[in-house]
Amino acid sequence: MRNVLLMGVLITGPLAGQDATLRLDRVADAERAWAGGDREAARRWASPVAAAWERAQGGDGWSPSAHIAAGRAWRILGEDDPTAVRQALAAFDAATRLDTAGVEGRLWAGDLLLERYNAPDARVEYRAVLSRDEGNARALLGLARAASFEGSNDAAPLAMRSVAADDRYAPALHFLAQLLLESEQYDSARVVAERALALDSTLVEGWGTLGAVAWLSDDTTSFAATERRVTAILPRPAAFHVAVAEAAARHRRYADAVQFAARGAALDSLNARAWGVLGINQLRIGAIDSGRASLERAFARDPFHIWHKNTLDLLDQMAGFRTVRTARFEIVAPARDAELLGTILGPLLEEAYDSLVVRYDYRPPTPIRLELFARHADFSVRTVGLTGMGALGVSFGTVLAMDAPAARPAGSWNIGSTAWHELAHTFTLGASDHRVPRWVSEGLSVVEERRARPGWGAHASVDFLMALHGGELLPIDRLNEGFTRPTGPGQLTLSYYQASLVMEQLESDFGIGAIRRLLQGYAEGLDSEAALVAATGLGSDSLNARFTGWLKTRFAVPLAALAAGEDGVFGPSWATGQEALAVGNARAAVGAIRAAHERFPEYGGADGPLAGLALALLATGDTTRALDAISGVTTRDETAFEANQLEARVRLARGDSAAAMTALERATWISPEDVTIRRMLAEVAAARQAHDVVVRERRAIAALSRTDPLTARTDLAEALIDAGDATGARRELLTVLEAAPAYERAQALLLRARAMRNGGGTP
Amino acid sequence: MSARCMVALVALLFVGATHGAAQDAMHLLVVTGLSGERSFATSFNTSASTLLTTARTRWDVAPTQAIWLAESIEAGDSGEVRGVATREAIAAAVDSLARQSAEGDIVLVVLIGHGSGEGAESRLSVPGPDPTAAEYGRWLDLLAGRRVAIINGASASGDFLPVLAAPGRVVITATRSATERNATTFMTHFTHGIASDEADANRDGQLTLLEAYDYARRAVDEAYTADSRLLTEHAQLDDDGDGKGTSDTSVPEASDGRVAARIVLGARAAPVSPQVAALLAERRALEGEVEALRRTRDRYDAESYADALETLLVAIAERTQAIRALEARAGGAP
Repeated sequence: MRNVLLMGVLITGPLAGQDATLRLDRVADAERAWAGGDREAARRWASPVAAAWERAQGGDGWSPSAHIAAGRAWRILGEDDPTAVRQALAAFDAATRLDTAGVEGRLWAGDLLLERYNAPDARVEYRAVLSRDEGNARALLGLARAASFEGSNDAAPLAMRSVAADDRYAPALHFLAQLLLESEQYDSARVVAERALALDSTLVEGWGTLGAVAWLSDDTTSFAATERRVTAILPRPAAFHVAVAEAAARHRRYADAVQFAARGAALDSLNARAWGVLGINQLRIGAIDSGRASLERAFARDPFHIWHKNTLDLLDQMAGFRTVRTARFEIVAPARDAELLGTILGPLLEEAYDSLVVRYDYRPPTPIRLELFARHADFSVRTVGLTGMGALGVSFGTVLAMDAPAARPAGSWNIGSTAWHELAHTFTLGASDHRVPRWVSEGLSVVEERRARPGWGAHASVDFLMALHGGELLPIDRLNEGFTRPTGPGQLTLSYYQASLVMEQLESDFGIGAIRRLLQGYAEGLDSEAALVAATGLGSDSLNARFTGWLKTRFAVPLAALAAGEDGVFGPSWATGQEALAVGNARAAVGAIRAAHERFPEYGGADGPLAGLALALLATGDTTRALDAISGVTTRDETAFEANQLEARVRLARGDSAAAMTALERATWISPEDVTIRRMLAEVAAARQAHDVVVRERRAIAALSRTDPLTARTDLAEALIDAGDATGARRELLTVLEAAPAYERAQALLLRARAMRNGGGTP
Repeated sequence: MSARCMVALVALLFVGATHGAAQDAMHLLVVTGLSGERSFATSFNTSASTLLTTARTRWDVAPTQAIWLAESIEAGDSGEVRGVATREAIAAAVDSLARQSAEGDIVLVVLIGHGSGEGAESRLSVPGPDPTAAEYGRWLDLLAGRRVAIINGASASGDFLPVLAAPGRVVITATRSATERNATTFMTHFTHGIASDEADANRDGQLTLLEAYDYARRAVDEAYTADSRLLTEHAQLDDDGDGKGTSDTSVPEASDGRVAARIVLGARAAPVSPQVAALLAERRALEGEVEALRRTRDRYDAESYADALETLLVAIAERTQAIRALEARAGGAP
């Protein structure tokens, strides 16, 4: 309350050139009414000020504080009027020009720019303020908000600086509470939010944070009390419900987010933020049509919101997407990619579903929708509204979103393991009623990747070993911070692997039942500590001690090598071996590289000693040991495309077509649009009479053969005939021959298919 | 129908079947311009070499009827390059084609390289002074009465099209204007398409210039899409002489493509026996029925349409089987 009143006082008093009856102080009343959802009163008080400023040719002759009052009035009127927003900025800029020593104009301009999603320009204003007043709490908070808007890790330290500069500045305290809530530190979030509200009880979003803490902690009594208190202050507190909705969404409770946002929209049908949060979360739970309708309403009121605009643009684009349906999945992808993705991901997802049902004793509702995007920017918009998100996939529960192969360079990621990973989230989110923390959910998803196929999922890395050696791994009770507040991309990557090892060890020691009990504990509202005790009988401290011991045993060899203090993880022999290999001295290379490998035998990255060892051994003609080495890479590095190709070639040369097929299959998940690899796999599978594989690969090739579909579809038809599917072959051949009736090869196959269907078997 | 009528009908069908199936005499001039870089030289020379090999091995073009002028005599394998692609040499080569070809012959002129300039001043960069589009136009006029097709696969080639357009002449450019100046990939796809069976869209064994153009245009589009790159070359074709190119000739409103569809680049040999000719005629008639059925597809439910289509296609396939059996008995398939 104090801050708002102070602002009101600042703009009263005689002002040169202004109407003496003009009540500039009513702008503060207008802002209060606006925050409470009373638009009519807000406009009634703000309009005269804005109109007077306009009549005075942009406040000609007005004082700086009067310009600021006018800017604030325009800001209110600008809720659904871009012209008014520009007027507001002009008024704030005028104040800055007139009062070059002052900072108010810049602060208001920064806040307005940030409110309109222009973080870079807002930051310029805040920095200008800080250059004059380095302890300005409001400018520091502005920078913190800008950082948060852009997903930077600087938000928390900047917010702390703001609070340190003025520990009674309620907005900064509230922002800090929001950050604490985001990182799932509920108790701290509640304490700080309460402090903020004690200083300014009109901070409706502060009530929202307090409500969110109660809701997310399953404390329905506190939630109801909070709701009553905010309603007593503001009769239609839409912003309260929207704040809870946003917090629910950040904690992956999307259905709850929809409910709260809908309540906000019901309380204030002109609240763009409510409609926007509602729309985005409706899309996340698969309610596409109603999500679009909600976003259209949000966009109509707030055309500045880039997330809503981007998402609506994307939905327009998605109208041209194709849906491929399997028993339990809807695979939605650009028309150009849908057949390939349906062909390869459909069976994989069905297999994963069956596997995960057994693992988690939980059956998610179907259909599960998987959306794939050929441009990473589109995937990013679908998931966070903005371009630039680094992840490969996201699970909202029964709606998954992922990059399609074209979105990333071939060979840089594994589409199969990514799909499996995201689907595993569907199970862990569902089994825990969307209450599982990130670290558990991500850890289990990585475990499931590793279980799905040898080689998939994260494996031991040099960075992980160094972090383990340096004591930099987070303890179990803080592991979630590695996901919610990582110190950088490196810590995030480490946290995925570490969390997977924690889950792997829990399962190893206590069985899959413990994992199920853990998820059940979360579903019942337990926090991690209580859920771990319920699942294992041990708290996080004990589990952490066991885990640390287990890690030290598991990585005893490389840790000892590091402790010996030699050069790097692999020691000097790694460089020696590489040099020997480069000059063709394979025998010397084998010895040196093997020595390097033995220092960290768990490491199978394609850039490490095992791959070099394989090449050196091949050069010596020792294909048996070379295969041992290369399979050490292909079963530990899920993107080792060239290693898989090499393994396939060597195994084929040795006549081991079954193992060659396995390597080729792995390669197809790394480079799914590589027709050469798929042809090779189809041919090897055909030689082994593995008809299902041949048909799948021929179908994938047909989907990829956009300039010569006739040959590819005819190949597919032949594979179908060989597999005994004359009906499927007929379907393909009719398509081919309809376009090219003179195509003799297809004609001959049509006669074969017809003979089969007439009971003649395969001619 | 009387036996006499039947014989007359078969004879008529035989005449119809041979029309268009036999290869028309073809003459080929390929000009590869200055490359500037080794990678371009390789690309240009590969395209030219593939064209010549395909013409020789698949289209029965005699070596004397195929001329390759390049930036240097060493560009191709031994003997492939006839001379350096100077302005004078190109003019002389066209003159030579005019003298050695007869009315009705197909004359295919292919330009490969880097383009420049605008409008009638558009050029292909060659050793020495670059001839302009207007000069190429005057040279092509020497080929009156022939079925002329010119393909300019160079960058910035688009402005050649209105300059060279003439009734009955096919003009293909790799770009739609002189402003598309990035190196093109059209000729790479064009030569791949003609050297394999891929460009023969209807798999009838007769590759037309229109099929080859459509294939290359689609392949260019696909390659750019697959690489997530903005399409910077838009091929176009004109053969109605109006000087306005068409990119996608398959759309109903396309006014171009009819002449290019009648220029057969490679075809099977004409049938040697009346029985085979009769079967071919029957097959052609059935193919016509397939086309008619396709046009009326919306009158059928999916299953009835598939059944009707299958009936026709099986009949076609059986004719083909019979033809091949007759050919085998007569001493080997063509």
